[in-house]
Amino acid sequence: MLTKTLENIGAKVLGALNQAGDFAVLSARAFRAIFKRPFDWANLLHQFNAIGVNSIPVIVLTSLAVSAVFAIQLAFGFRQFQAEGMASGVEGLAIVRELAPVIVGLMMAGRVGSAMAAELGTMQVTEQIDALECLATDPIHYLFVPRLIAGAVMVPLLTALGIMVGFWGGYMVLVGVEGQSAFVYSQGFYQLLSARDFRIAMIKALTFGIIIALVGCWRGYRTQGGAEGVGNAPTSSVVTSSLWILIMDFFITKLLLV
Amino acid sequence: MEPVIDVVNLSKAFGPKVVLSNVNLQVQEGESLVVLGGSGTGKTVLLRNIMGLLTPDQGHVAVEGKIIHQLKRDELFETRQKIGMCFQMAALFDSMSVEENVGFALKRHASMSKAQIAERVDECLGLVGLKDTNRLRTSELSGGMKRRVGFARAIALKPKILLFDEPTTGLDPVMTDVIGRIILDLKAELGVTSITITHDLKSAFEIADRIALIFRGECIACETPEAFRKNPHPVVQQFLRGDADGPFLQDPPPPKRALSRPHHHPIPSV
Repeated sequence: MLTKTLENIGAKVLGALNQAGDFAVLSARAFRAIFKRPFDWANLLHQFNAIGVNSIPVIVLTSLAVSAVFAIQLAFGFRQFQAEGMASGVEGLAIVRELAPVIVGLMMAGRVGSAMAAELGTMQVTEQIDALECLATDPIHYLFVPRLIAGAVMVPLLTALGIMVGFWGGYMVLVGVEGQSAFVYSQGFYQLLSARDFRIAMIKALTFGIIIALVGCWRGYRTQGGAEGVGNAPTSSVVTSSLWILIMDFFITKLLLV
Repeated sequence: MEPVIDVVNLSKAFGPKVVLSNVNLQVQEGESLVVLGGSGTGKTVLLRNIMGLLTPDQGHVAVEGKIIHQLKRDELFETRQKIGMCFQMAALFDSMSVEENVGFALKRHASMSKAQIAERVDECLGLVGLKDTNRLRTSELSGGMKRRVGFARAIALKPKILLFDEPTTGLDPVMTDVIGRIILDLKAELGVTSITITHDLKSAFEIADRIALIFRGECIACETPEAFRKNPHPVVQQFLRGDADGPFLQDPPPPKRALSRPHHHPIPSV
């Protein structure tokens, strides 16, 4: 009984280590492949479009919703001790430091990470990835690299967009509904922020973009077993990358916000 | 003369299931080898080992004297450019048009202008009898057309070796014959060395210079079509007859009901 339990735990640990090792090796190969020729510009532009441009509506809507809700909570909270003037400053702080990068990261994990896993997973089970190999094309170079670059470029840009939209989400509530002065809101929003906060936000977004692209591609590339496998790949890619986004968010914040 | 493809003592198992054990095959330059064998006897695994998509457990595959699984990745890709692989289900890139599929390797590996690539794509599509399909999406193609686009993609880089993985499976008899003719044409026009895996005996005898039969992971015959027909081995004879009774199957099937039924009963007229 006990040996059986220990064996099971051991097998789980070994399995997890195997997966981690596999992910690390493929990620290293993807980073090394960035500098290989021939560079496929058309493919990269296509990914910029799929990952970045097509995500704009989703990011605008979620940023607007989250920042507006947060402004309502802040206005309510600060009213308890007559400090409504603080709301705009805290709103800005929260959006730039945490809400925009994390919300954009999680939304992108759901929107593009899963799409990558499904696309590569389908290619894997229909032998298209083997066909790439047979046409003397490294799948890591052809499939991973454009997605990795697009993720690393587009998630920070979308985070910047999220911050800008977040400003107006807070504005709608605090100026429009609560009746604060527009001038005071605009001043207050940036009052507690410094350039470092924007830098940290971009570092977070860059990290999340890389995580989303690598996990999505890795899950798709390692898909096995037909339709069920293709179904599992996006799910596990979203769960894995969301988890790592939250974990990395903690460590980046802890390390950089001293 | 050194063979172009040399399979030496090749063994491959997946877990406890032994798929290939100690297979030896040599293919000379310009020769067309047909590999026969029941479903699931490891024929596809053999091709995947030749392409370097799988690593053998024992033995090796040498293409033009280079041992495939010992090559570095760059060298492997260089060797793969000399081999055209035609997949069982064609494995076309479904996000691309026919033209982009066929021109894929040219765009990446050949230093050709766009016009030259387009010309070569037309030439390859012409060879497989699919002129003027350039702009079609792969989802608009029938099964037989997909296979042929797959052939065109495989020959685009003018490979010296062609590997066909069950090129006729799942096609009607007429299309099977068409595919068989295309393979013969390609052989005549390009002078390539080829390995074809098939279940279809008619096209096998048309295409083959030599026929090999894989049975339970082992190669039990490898000889000219005439000699193969006369091979007294019971498995060979059973395969040629296409009969369920014999040593070929591990679990013998139930007796034929059609034969035990004495008469055919037509629907009685009222």
